[in-house]
Amino acid sequence: MKIRFVSLMLIVMLILISGNVNAIAYCSLRDPVAQIGKLFPQKTNQLSIVKTVDDNTRAQVQIALPSNDLHFSELGQHTLYIAMLGKEALGYVHVRSEQSDWGLVEIVWAIDKNLRISNFVFQRCRSPKKKIAEDSGFKAMFVGKNYQELKELLSDDGVTAKIDVLEKAQNAPELANVVLRCALKTLLLTEILWGEELEKL
Amino acid sequence: MFVFNVFSEFLVRFLAFSLLIFPMSCYADFTNNLRWSLDASARLNQNDALDNTSRIYALGLDSHKVFTSSNGDVGYGVGQFYYTKLSNHIPVPFLFTSKDDGELIIREAHLNYTAGPNWLPNIRVGHFVLPFGLEESIDTNGRLLDYSHGKNLGAKLDWGLGLNKVVSQVEYSVSYTLGGKDKAKSVDGSYAVSGRIGSLSHLDFVVGLSIYDGNIDDVSRKRLALDWQYYWGTWGLLGELALGEDNKKSQRMQKEKYSLLELNKTSINGQFKLYSQFIVSDKENQKSTDKLINIGFSYQFNTQLELSMSGRKQFNNPSMGQKQQLLRVQLRVRY
Repeated sequence: MKIRFVSLMLIVMLILISGNVNAIAYCSLRDPVAQIGKLFPQKTNQLSIVKTVDDNTRAQVQIALPSNDLHFSELGQHTLYIAMLGKEALGYVHVRSEQSDWGLVEIVWAIDKNLRISNFVFQRCRSPKKKIAEDSGFKAMFVGKNYQELKELLSDDGVTAKIDVLEKAQNAPELANVVLRCALKTLLLTEILWGEELEKL
Repeated sequence: MFVFNVFSEFLVRFLAFSLLIFPMSCYADFTNNLRWSLDASARLNQNDALDNTSRIYALGLDSHKVFTSSNGDVGYGVGQFYYTKLSNHIPVPFLFTSKDDGELIIREAHLNYTAGPNWLPNIRVGHFVLPFGLEESIDTNGRLLDYSHGKNLGAKLDWGLGLNKVVSQVEYSVSYTLGGKDKAKSVDGSYAVSGRIGSLSHLDFVVGLSIYDGNIDDVSRKRLALDWQYYWGTWGLLGELALGEDNKKSQRMQKEKYSLLELNKTSINGQFKLYSQFIVSDKENQKSTDKLINIGFSYQFNTQLELSMSGRKQFNNPSMGQKQQLLRVQLRVRY
């Protein structure tokens, strides 16, 4: 019985072998249900599409956004949620983490069908300046922009925002840098991993 | 109660079968939206109270699958199946027959139907962690971190049915389970009713209220608990206070109090986690109040490899046996 189980494990491994990995047990996975409801209050359901962020994807991010990298927790399988109103897709929801001075910041991004940021909320942000980043003035710097437009906000070092963006960020320039990097990686990964599938919708 | 348990057993088996068959027919390609990992761990335990060194090895498959239809998600399933081998481990856990036994163990195996209208709760069926206290939002399966869930309630996981939902500001989960623990049946009239309602678990301040009423292994237990989590920067302050009573057959009802206070710290890159817990447990018929401290850490080398260590020490002199003093080290690999 025990030998059979171990053999079964090895067979399953060989059949499904794909390097899919995640550091946490899957029973602890939680969909950001409350945040999806906040970003798309009219949605009736959500459609999940799970894709793998692997070393190849990581390399593509490093090429597209020099001086940037994906945090190790960003590797593995991740879900893009399509907010649905009946059978109609309203937009997409993508959760990404970015390292900051206050630990990992997790942002739930709402993306429209043209792959522009339409809104965002924090899943986790332990910065004392979180309230500033939730203000509509702060959000306006990112909302409505696509990947190229957001990339223009980056300074030459590739990791911080340009001076005029930081000035608009009131007293939370560090948070503006984190949100900008996270937005860029989110839109880039959405295009790389889910782009083909989203075009079919 | 007997008729209700028989009905529940039938319902658990019928729904588990139906929910397994129905979503599989919704989506032809089973590997879509499927997460899986091989999960292997080796744990070394040095129990000074018993003057014993033991090891626990586990190799298993951890899987998660989202079932979808053209209208969206139908639900998801979690399956965790492990071969677990003891080596000189005492006391022998209830799932095993000897200190060197090896068994196939189902940790979590449940389906959660989520496609109902907004007013309808999600419906869970299978083997799952009883919704109660801190464990409801912080999963400890396969980790050294522990919130004494099984010890407090008589079982950590059980077979049964549950309702759960996240609404705008509140999340809740309630369940009726059969009290058979690893067996999908009621044993000598066993059952467990458990539930928790709390604020949203992703917030910096989380508070929850839990109830429990069950009869497992011939012990009736009732519990009312308050749990909270507060996070500031990379620090976390967590607590759980449970009040209740136990009634073993042939013994009179005895009141119980359990409280846990935890302070934890996570490095800014999330790789290193350190925690210290102070646990106070008081039983009416017990001469002294148990006071324990539990300190541990985990270090995540990458997405696959984690090292964790914990030390537990009891401060009071127990009425029976030696003071608890336990050191544990675990290496865990996920592939």
